[in-house]
Amino acid sequence: MNFKSLNHTTMEELIYRLKQEIIEALNLEDMKPEDIDENAPLFGEGLGLDSIDALELIVLMEKNYGIKLQDPSKGKEIFKSVTVMAEYIQKNRTK
Amino acid sequence: MIQHFVHITPEFAFVDGKALNHNEKGAALLTELYRAHIGDYPKFFKMDTLSKLGFVASELLLQAEGELRFEPREDRAVVLFNRSASLQADTNFQATIQDPENFFPSPAAFVYTLANIVTGEIAIRNKYYGETSFIVLERQQPQVMAQQALAAFLDPMTESLISGWLDCEDENHFEAAIFLLKKGQYDNAETVSKEITKIFNIKY
Amino acid sequence: MIVSIADNIISPLGMTSEENYEAVKAGRSALHRYEDLWNLPEAFTASLMDRETVEDAFAALPVEKEYTFFEKIVLLSASRAIKRAGIDPSSERVLFILSTTKGNVFLLDKRETGFPQERVLLGVAARQMTDYFHNPNAPIVVSNACISGVCAQIEAIRNLQSGHYDYVVVAGADMQSAFIVSGFQSFKALSPESCKPFDAQRCGLNLGEAAATVVLARRDTVTENDWVLCRGAIRNDANHISGPSRTGEGSYRALKVALGSMNPDRIAFINAHGTATLYNDEMESIAIERAGLAQVSVNAMKGYYGHTMGAAGVLESILSMCAIDDHNILATKGFDTLGVSHPLLLSNQNQTTEKKAFIKLLSGFGGCNAALLFAKGVEL
Repeated sequence: MNFKSLNHTTMEELIYRLKQEIIEALNLEDMKPEDIDENAPLFGEGLGLDSIDALELIVLMEKNYGIKLQDPSKGKEIFKSVTVMAEYIQKNRTK
Repeated sequence: MIQHFVHITPEFAFVDGKALNHNEKGAALLTELYRAHIGDYPKFFKMDTLSKLGFVASELLLQAEGELRFEPREDRAVVLFNRSASLQADTNFQATIQDPENFFPSPAAFVYTLANIVTGEIAIRNKYYGETSFIVLERQQPQVMAQQALAAFLDPMTESLISGWLDCEDENHFEAAIFLLKKGQYDNAETVSKEITKIFNIKY
Repeated sequence: MIVSIADNIISPLGMTSEENYEAVKAGRSALHRYEDLWNLPEAFTASLMDRETVEDAFAALPVEKEYTFFEKIVLLSASRAIKRAGIDPSSERVLFILSTTKGNVFLLDKRETGFPQERVLLGVAARQMTDYFHNPNAPIVVSNACISGVCAQIEAIRNLQSGHYDYVVVAGADMQSAFIVSGFQSFKALSPESCKPFDAQRCGLNLGEAAATVVLARRDTVTENDWVLCRGAIRNDANHISGPSRTGEGSYRALKVALGSMNPDRIAFINAHGTATLYNDEMESIAIERAGLAQVSVNAMKGYYGHTMGAAGVLESILSMCAIDDHNILATKGFDTLGVSHPLLLSNQNQTTEKKAFIKLLSGFGGCNAALLFAKGVEL
């Protein structure tokens, strides 16, 4: 089964959906997708997420996109920004 | 002797005996109080209901005390009591693992599955390096609470204490009845127990 | 002075304190890898009780109702310690303090139907204990994350010092379940193999279950064989609810209070929390150094029992008392090469000592830390 051929999501659509999912999963109250800059860093500056948020994003990737990340330290690279995250998902998703 | 106390339920909020205005009930009341009286701590929205309750109640209590905030100190203890421990958070976490076909344990939910986390949230916010503790009882027992809370002053560094009842079963059943006590302000547990019972109208 | 007059450990390594001490001294560990246990998709290494052994031992107790596994190990441990102490548990001068993090949380699983839901409440679970012993006082449960076992002993000390009670029975226990294991798995905090406290290759903790009890009393004088609980403190990092402080803030402050003005040369060892996560062990090395205790031997028990949560503070204190009675500093199982930034004196071999004091150190979620100074035959 080629998920990519069945799934016609464009990168733009995926980025928007991902922003919505991040806001919900991390309880970022008062934020709308428009408020998140997809190229800004998620950790450190930007949204200032912490270690528990990183773990929650790992769950999000598995739950919504079927991607299992065994090594949490890889998370820092993948979660650099929403765009980087979306690109990784588009490449590795099984859902 | 207890100069500052806060009482919050899903229906009302009182600070030092005076009612606060509000339109909402339940967990929404906590968010309303947060926005109206605090507003500068986005981490509030990540908390489970017990921690939100404790955070809002302690903020109102400390605002009523009116002293310098956020200066690191080791002389203030936080000792809280309840009967439900972290039941709401436990139930939330259980829901993420209940169904084997949809098994996704949530770290953000799991971190709140300990009642003492709320004492940690209070310590972080206020830079309290002092004692933090949580005791679970069968029910609200002012005599037991007074005795165990006052025992905190046996730590030679502890000069003041945030204590009281902080319980949350779910978003529509919770109660905060917390107070500030300074060392030497009381005679014994009996007196404190009577005072708590009076100001919070505790019924047996 | 507050002394420990009796104790007991119920664990996968034995049903008495003596059995447990001998097993640990001989280097035995109960850590075992479990696949497909409790329908968990991911395998894990833990130290779990043999259910049958517990049921057999429990059958010897006179009971009139059904108890959960958690309650059974509490009752077993408490009854054995109380028997050794020779006290009357039904007296109003006896207080019971239960130390546990999750009690009967397994009952939240909708598939568990054997007990009323209210047994999930820790106060109700503790009531099973006080009712069993016909004790009239309200059950008190200390639920302060992983430091509960030391916290409960400190509460006991205060209750005895105040004169309200003559004896306090401190029982610490936790049982494992899908709830707890999956939670720690979501934190990616578990090591797939036996944990390695303070080691350069450490990669996480193992979970464990046990019940441990101490009976504490107040004395005006002590003999050279009496164990005195001298001084303890609980302090918060005020940093993060699940991550340890990079400066070991709370741990260092608790250590400082427990040490007081005593000469560190009198301390045989610090029995650390040593969960073998990257951050905890590093944090403890910082705290120990800041407290001026870097020259004191350090050891950790998680390589034998895993992290027994509510039981840890009591279990590890008892083993430490047994060790000093035996002129011994127990080896840190799982330790090989130092992997923390401050040089601590750890060893994977048992070592002799003639010193008579130790500090029990713990840290827990919520940023809490506790330290308790024990001394034999003297109050320091």
